[in-house]
Amino acid sequence: MHLADVVPFIFLLLLVGCSARPLYPLPSRRNDKSKQPIQTFRPFNIAHRGSNGEIPEETAAAYRRAIEEGADFIETDILASKDGVLICFHDVTLDDITDIAEHKEFASRKRTYEVQGVNVTGYFVVDFTLQELKSLRVKQRYPFRDQQYNGKFSIITFEEFISIALDAPRVVGIYPEMKNPVFINQRVKWSGGKRFEDKFVETLKKYGYKGSYLSKQWLKQPAFIQSFAPTSLVYVSNQTDLPKIFLIDDVTMPTQDTNQSYWEITSDSYLDFIKDYVVGIGPWKDTVIPVANNYLQTPTDLVARAHARDLQVHPYTYRNENQFLHFNFSEDPYNEYNYWINKVEVDGLFTDFTGSLHNFQEWTSPLSPDDEDASKLLKKIALMISEFSKT
Amino acid sequence: MHLADVVPFIFLLLLVGCSARPLYPLPSRRNDKSKQPIQTFRPFNIAHRGSNGEIPEETAAAYRRAIEEGADFIETDILASKDGVLICFHDVTLDDTTDIAEHKELASRKRTYEVQGVNVTGYFVVDITLQELKSLRVKQRYPFRDQQYNGKFSIITFEEFISIALDAPRVVGIYPEMKNPVFINQRVKWSDGKRFEDKFVETLEKYGYKGSYLSKQWLKQPAFIQSFAPTSLVYVSNQTDLPKIFLIDDVTMPTQDTNQSYWEITSDSYLDFIKDYVVGIGPWKDTVIPVANNYLQTPTDLVARAHARDLQVHPYTYRNENQFLHFNFSEDPYNEYDYWINKVGVDGLFTDFTGSLHNFQEWTSPLSPDDEDASKLLKKIALMISEFSKT
Repeated sequence: MHLADVVPFIFLLLLVGCSARPLYPLPSRRNDKSKQPIQTFRPFNIAHRGSNGEIPEETAAAYRRAIEEGADFIETDILASKDGVLICFHDVTLDDITDIAEHKEFASRKRTYEVQGVNVTGYFVVDFTLQELKSLRVKQRYPFRDQQYNGKFSIITFEEFISIALDAPRVVGIYPEMKNPVFINQRVKWSGGKRFEDKFVETLKKYGYKGSYLSKQWLKQPAFIQSFAPTSLVYVSNQTDLPKIFLIDDVTMPTQDTNQSYWEITSDSYLDFIKDYVVGIGPWKDTVIPVANNYLQTPTDLVARAHARDLQVHPYTYRNENQFLHFNFSEDPYNEYNYWINKVEVDGLFTDFTGSLHNFQEWTSPLSPDDEDASKLLKKIALMISEFSKT
Repeated sequence: MHLADVVPFIFLLLLVGCSARPLYPLPSRRNDKSKQPIQTFRPFNIAHRGSNGEIPEETAAAYRRAIEEGADFIETDILASKDGVLICFHDVTLDDTTDIAEHKELASRKRTYEVQGVNVTGYFVVDITLQELKSLRVKQRYPFRDQQYNGKFSIITFEEFISIALDAPRVVGIYPEMKNPVFINQRVKWSDGKRFEDKFVETLEKYGYKGSYLSKQWLKQPAFIQSFAPTSLVYVSNQTDLPKIFLIDDVTMPTQDTNQSYWEITSDSYLDFIKDYVVGIGPWKDTVIPVANNYLQTPTDLVARAHARDLQVHPYTYRNENQFLHFNFSEDPYNEYDYWINKVGVDGLFTDFTGSLHNFQEWTSPLSPDDEDASKLLKKIALMISEFSKT
């Protein structure tokens, strides 16, 4: 046999060796059918930008911390880079929470754009490629929170965010937002005439996210799609039956795409319209119950009207710092959770402090065992009692 | 019968009528033997200056709120007015927490005195009579707390404070401090050469406070006497067997009476000495576990050495505001309670937020029924189980 005859075989082996790897799944937890399922009997603990009370927002570390602390869902804001990669980042500019100012190589990228009717100056994410964004380091947004992680973490992509959720040791849902879709579609173009919303849904589908609320597939990989822009939500409802949440801004802010006022989009007729597309609303909590002199005033009827239409209510955002706590709550974030969960009866809460909400829920409404466990337990107690009665 | 004969009778009736009133107790709750007793199985919830997180410190309203919120003890600082009346007030000057500046009639009383080695200028309580003090109105010390009660409440006396405790619907202990005894004894003189400490104990005895820790009498009217001045504690130990707590200031502050350093009064030999006079110590919590960069450092061995000598540890002061919460606690006051109660193992906590500590304790270590209740409960369960087994 000549060498020339062996070479094709070697190539074949090489080919098989290289391609075989993807033929079976990674030995990770993704196919672990015994993962603790998501709870659905008490309001959702939504880790707003991860556990950003402790760790800079929207970083891998912040999300892992949130999962550790018991989040039901990890939440993120999706924007796009110059080269069309979907990234996890809240602001359209990098100025407030990254070290962009220290990167002299990007000094020339400063721009002024109109965003939702206001001129904004800064370094816009849409003017940076992913590689350039990855060279930046993020920092804690609020000076009164822990600064020790500043400069340690980088921006992550939508796909990296999804991986964190899928790799969790229990079922953890994702809650991504189509953020500033009007602005993104103006500044970033994709091939094939695809829009921001198309790429967003594409990414979710790539990782197997599908199914309507509480369906079998949904419970395996729970997800809510959120947006302030109603047309984006309507648009994607043709592409996926994943549940959607309509975010509602402050009373002074009109919608970015349809220029409708707060009063219009919270009216009975609008709720009747939007309820065919979304499973719930996400309002700013100080519009649900207005505030004066740092005291809660008479609640509006928004929650009642939403619930009457089978719409969930997930207000934002709950924070532990006393400057955010109205005096009714005696500067105690647990009193605030107690009120919103037990008196207002919301269905989910966006919180910067996942651990605190988890504590509150665990101490006051712990996860109940399922029926099968309950009867096993009862039989066990019966045995113990019979011993006790004999003595 | 002449009128003259009847008059003595009338006088007699009048006399009986007027004196009979005090012969039986007021129809208040003071003799209510079915009052819920004080709990002694978990660390004491000590309402530091009342519920002053919500209501201006050391006012009747702050103390009533604390009792409402579940305090085991209401705490106060006792000073003396110019005419020797014992009052509840923390600062030796009125400037920070009253409207003294608006009382032009008292403008001439401003003085400069040396207090614990430092020159202090202001309106001193010892230069103002009780009647004048009563004309003032107190305000919330911290600008970030609720200001709505400013100007509504006045300073109360030690006796009024005691009444609030005795009138509570359940057994509530008192925790008064002999505050600045060195300064008070310099500035205020009582008849018969009595000292501040004498008047202090006199007041307690007048209202029936007596008995050693956990004795039958003590459990009916619980009380701790606290002071930073060891000689005052030693002095009153001859007069009352009520339990005493030795307060320990920051590492830089020597004792006001014996000029001993923090290191001396926390040494093994000193604890061996003081333990014959006090049942515990009250240290500033950031000296028990030092802090750097707003993170807890390695704990000192103070708690271990105190507990080894059967000395309780009641650190001060726990506050909800994030500026007071070290980063280990994720800006969650309940995490701080959890750590100090379950990891450090303290025996009591001085808190500005009675309600929050009560929540934490109720949710994680609820009051357990006594043994009799437990076996009744078990019998009940046995009955229920037997029904269940039949089905």
